[in-house]
Amino acid sequence: MKRLLAVIISIIFLSSPVKAETIRLLMETVPDTKYIQELLPEFEKQTGIKVEMEVISYNDMHAKLIPQLLSAKGSYDGIVVDFYWVGEFIKAGWLMPLDDLVQRDKFNTSVYVPKLTDLVGKVDGVQYMLPFYNYSMAVIYRKDLLEDPKEQAAFKAKYGIDLKVPTDWDEYWKQVEFFTRDTDNDGKKDLYGTVIQGQRGDCVSMQWANFLYGMGGRFQDKDWNPTINSDAGIKAMEAYREAVVKFSPPGSESFCFDEAANVMAQGKAYSLQTFNIMFAGFDDPESSKVVGKVGITSNPGGGLNGGWGWAIPNSSQNKEAVWKFYQWVESYEIAKKRALLGGAPTQTRIFTDPDVIAKRPYYPILGEILAGSQDFPVFTYTTELVEKMGLEFNLAATGEKEPKAALDAANAAYRKLLIKDGKISE
Amino acid sequence: MNTRAASGLERGDRRFGLMLTAPGLAVLFLVIIFPLLFALITSFFDYTLINPNHDTFVGLDNYQEVLDEEYILTSLWVTLKFVLASVMIEFAIGFSVALALNSVTRFKNFYYLILLAPLLINPVVVGLLWRMILHTELGIANYAISLMNIDPVNWLGNANAAFWTVVMVDIWHQFSFMAILLLAGLASLPREPYEAARVDGASSFSCFIHITLPLMRPVIIVALLLRFVFAIKTFDIVFIMTKGGPGTATDIISYFIYRAAFFGLDIGRASAMSIALLLIVLALTIYLYRYMTSLR
Repeated sequence: MKRLLAVIISIIFLSSPVKAETIRLLMETVPDTKYIQELLPEFEKQTGIKVEMEVISYNDMHAKLIPQLLSAKGSYDGIVVDFYWVGEFIKAGWLMPLDDLVQRDKFNTSVYVPKLTDLVGKVDGVQYMLPFYNYSMAVIYRKDLLEDPKEQAAFKAKYGIDLKVPTDWDEYWKQVEFFTRDTDNDGKKDLYGTVIQGQRGDCVSMQWANFLYGMGGRFQDKDWNPTINSDAGIKAMEAYREAVVKFSPPGSESFCFDEAANVMAQGKAYSLQTFNIMFAGFDDPESSKVVGKVGITSNPGGGLNGGWGWAIPNSSQNKEAVWKFYQWVESYEIAKKRALLGGAPTQTRIFTDPDVIAKRPYYPILGEILAGSQDFPVFTYTTELVEKMGLEFNLAATGEKEPKAALDAANAAYRKLLIKDGKISE
Repeated sequence: MNTRAASGLERGDRRFGLMLTAPGLAVLFLVIIFPLLFALITSFFDYTLINPNHDTFVGLDNYQEVLDEEYILTSLWVTLKFVLASVMIEFAIGFSVALALNSVTRFKNFYYLILLAPLLINPVVVGLLWRMILHTELGIANYAISLMNIDPVNWLGNANAAFWTVVMVDIWHQFSFMAILLLAGLASLPREPYEAARVDGASSFSCFIHITLPLMRPVIIVALLLRFVFAIKTFDIVFIMTKGGPGTATDIISYFIYRAAFFGLDIGRASAMSIALLLIVLALTIYLYRYMTSLR
């Protein structure tokens, strides 16, 4: 018994502070996390600081973060923040302003794409985060089909316009209709013009935003008056429902982005509106049957702008060491290495770097996609809005509710949350 | 007999018993009673994750807000349907399997292993696994039924189908719990009544009706009640597979509460819902227990 006690006590003592400096980060299971893990040994060798990453899926992150952020001494020294959470985290006062550190160490924040600084960098002029990677949404399409002379002739004959990379919504939607077909004449569609990710909640909300932008609609006007149920919104919802019924595989009312991407990767779809970070996967022979056959372009009217930022929570116990890590991971050298591995850049200089372009020729297009992207509502209750809208959008996508009724309900829910947040008055 | 000595001994026993249970009771208090009280108190306050403190007492406002929730009744209805469907079907399958296994003598461990396998899998993994299997276009389920010339099923996209799909996955995952519990009960039944009945010429069927069922009643009650309470708390499968959709078809109450807490950031409202749910479940459990024990 005594011996056991001695062992336990020595374990407790050995495992606490004495060893080298260690920082703990909570990260999401995405490719960009993996690229950093590959480069981590360099940082540890340079600084002697050990980086422990807890990598979990998106679904669990928010619920896992909150208790740590609420406590005075959290177990995460550094965190990554999805743009959804920015309003909430700032309002709750969980994030530490970085301005003093930025000035002291002359960290250059002007290298970031302004769209991302606005989204996951500064809030009301205060630097709370450093943009980590961007996942703005884009249209991924089948280059081989688009460039096929036979298809081009048939498309021209049918619609009277050329078949080319689409630049406006009508043109894109004609292509979606055109490529939805039964290629082997067995009475069943086997090529779909697009793949909808209509699952209730986050999945449908994010994708539908691209439809709204495509029709020229916005979630709110400049004074925060919600405009989801505008004419553009209703047109967008009608198109969304049309896609579910006609142009997308059955069951897509329940798909999220991964299921939708799998349909595309199996060569069963002409196009897909998805996150730009998914693109590299279609050129990977292990997960795709359409290697070399896909291209990427902007969503007509702009796609949804999305991104993650590095932040230091006030509950962090090792702020200096984490800041050192951020300076390293966001340095030109490391940002470039991450991009060469396939990471989604946030700094203008990476999009235009000759070495990066030589290895990944489509990166300038990613830069254009980001520059033309549209913002999603960011305020204290974004996560709740996404759920409330996501239910109504899904009801419209499945045909249980008329587009107008669903959008009216979504608009009313949005208005209520904006009032609660003090953005507008009743 | 010396009563004084006996009572002294008894008192000693009692003190010893108290000493043995004290640590357990203390832990129980910390991990069960305390959170429960905390939730109860919080449900009367405007306690949000943005402003997590018990500063603003709001009385029954949170409960009123819950009643005003647009889809709360739908959610309760879905939960009730889900619980009844899954527990009843699990009981039917579980009991048949237990009866079958009870008479098996060879490869018993092998069957146990197969039976227990789903139960050992984390529910999140179960959800992800079935999402892949049930993918309308690329999943193996629709491929398999297409070989039998059956039209593909929209497992998770159609409101009606999605509800039964979730019930089915829950049954797949949980029925062995029922089977194992009932099997343990069957194994502990005495042999004599059966032998006597056989001598009197009773058929297997009448043995089942007149001996097995009455003797098994306590076990059946426990199994049903346990599964009933667990089924109300189902969360992971819905969270992973459907997010409550399509529409509100699978929007069970636990996910509803989760949304209020972690998306709505409103712990006060979520606590009010949890407390209300606790009261409903408690009342139902007592009623069911009384009802089932009164059956003769």
